[in-house]
Amino acid sequence: MSSHREAPEISKDPVADSTDVYAFVSPSKPDHVVLIANYVPLQAPDGGPNFYEFGDDVTYEIHISNSGKSTADISYQFRFTTEIRNPKTFLYNIGPISSIGDKNWNRPQFYSVTRVEGNKRRQLAGKLACPPVNVGPRSTPDYAKLSAQAVHKVGGIRVFAGQRADAFHVDLGSIFDLGALRPLNEAHLIPLAKMDGINSVQAFNVHSIAIEVPIKDLTRNGRRPKSVNSKNATIGVWTTAKRQKNRMYDDKQNRYRGTGPWEQVSRLGNPLVNEVLIPMAEKDRWNHTAPKNDSKYAKYVDKPELAALLPVLYPGAFPNLAKYGKPRADLNAILLTGIPKGVVPGFQNYTGPVASDMLRLNMAVPPSANPNDLGLVGGDAAGYPNGRRINDDVVTIELRAIAGLTLPLVDPSFKPDGAASAAADGTSNTNAAATSSFPHLGLPGGGYQTTPGTTKAS
Amino acid sequence: MTDTSRRKLIAVAGAGAAAGAVALTPGMAFARETRAREGSATESVVAYVEDHRSDTVTFLIGEREVVVRDRDLVARILNAAGSSSMKES
Repeated sequence: MSSHREAPEISKDPVADSTDVYAFVSPSKPDHVVLIANYVPLQAPDGGPNFYEFGDDVTYEIHISNSGKSTADISYQFRFTTEIRNPKTFLYNIGPISSIGDKNWNRPQFYSVTRVEGNKRRQLAGKLACPPVNVGPRSTPDYAKLSAQAVHKVGGIRVFAGQRADAFHVDLGSIFDLGALRPLNEAHLIPLAKMDGINSVQAFNVHSIAIEVPIKDLTRNGRRPKSVNSKNATIGVWTTAKRQKNRMYDDKQNRYRGTGPWEQVSRLGNPLVNEVLIPMAEKDRWNHTAPKNDSKYAKYVDKPELAALLPVLYPGAFPNLAKYGKPRADLNAILLTGIPKGVVPGFQNYTGPVASDMLRLNMAVPPSANPNDLGLVGGDAAGYPNGRRINDDVVTIELRAIAGLTLPLVDPSFKPDGAASAAADGTSNTNAAATSSFPHLGLPGGGYQTTPGTTKAS
Repeated sequence: MTDTSRRKLIAVAGAGAAAGAVALTPGMAFARETRAREGSATESVVAYVEDHRSDTVTFLIGEREVVVRDRDLVARILNAAGSSSMKES
């Protein structure tokens, strides 16, 4: 998946597991950027009585690099605290929750937001309320209202933290069954009948942190860039989760407590990098590494294992890809440096020569009036890999890029195989619909409304 | 507080103000009668000896980490950890 359970250690620690990052210029406020970090993957909406929540013992962060050095020049930190209002009940709520301050909600969660820039730390807010999870029509009868109440305005920014519907779509069952793509089943080394893809993530929720920030707050010179070619136009974005170095069970408090400095246990920039490019034995270390130190992983981007596997798994379908022996400069640019000027006419999101996995967003590219979910490869420069919008089909984009479709951008002598432009897992976006307003991800599916064993989303 | 944990806390307090690796003069700070001084740690402390053959002990305090290089201190922690009076689950 994008980064759900993508490494051995973090797969055992879902509360700290970054699942997706989105960064795009707000369609409704084009002088603002929306940054979204999702955590806590694959939440079954009916997972009570202890429903999903952020970790009080985790520091969640969204980082922005604007210096061309792939360093965290600006970070937004989020810390959570959970309260129990009535210690004598086992219930998450003791009646309908009609507002986010409703006393019927027994386990409210709050958070602080701190902006860190260099040595300066500034707490923007101290105790903002999350919404409850979507329990069902009796407990959370007007979930849209609860969600709206949890959008907080703090100075010039808006912020939200709480449960949302996952927007990512992918056929996990097929992809991790020896790299199978159901629409190409008949061409697979171990053939099966061709069929449509199955969206494994449909109907699952995540916990999302979203922030809408004025563009000028994120640039090096404090101004909104006007030109796509401006050196201040592109930022690099990634998210992390940190835990304290020591975690000990406190047998008096009956909970774990942390001690010591914060250590990064999860990070995410471009979708699928740690998932499918980094070897299993190095995934945990990758999660603990800062992007500026990614040069040691560049070899896995330049010679991706998956690009070598495709011709083996689909005999005869990728002959040109099989013969290509040079390092993949296209993938290196897309994932590690940004696309320099002159590669795609009228576009660049280059952040400098430091090889680093960051989601790069050229903020001078206006939102598209007619978004193409294939983003830049579909001719829409407002989409992935120029940032990432909610509906961008990153699985298809990256699959086709690895299959060689983007290689002619940097090596015109290469002719992509026909199968490269057909490569897809066959899923469509059947997740809860994204919303046009902040925080943009769809409302989470409700527990009562869920039918286990199906992929029905509601 | 047991005598063993009291001495560990005092030992940490002696190093608590320092940042990064600190080399202490052997036998200087950890006499049995050593008392907590102003500025010593007043919260939970975790001591970590990664390698019993080394002279390094790491203390985790709040959101900080203090590394102390003191073979005598390490030996006393190891002796305490190996004592039969330790709680075992």
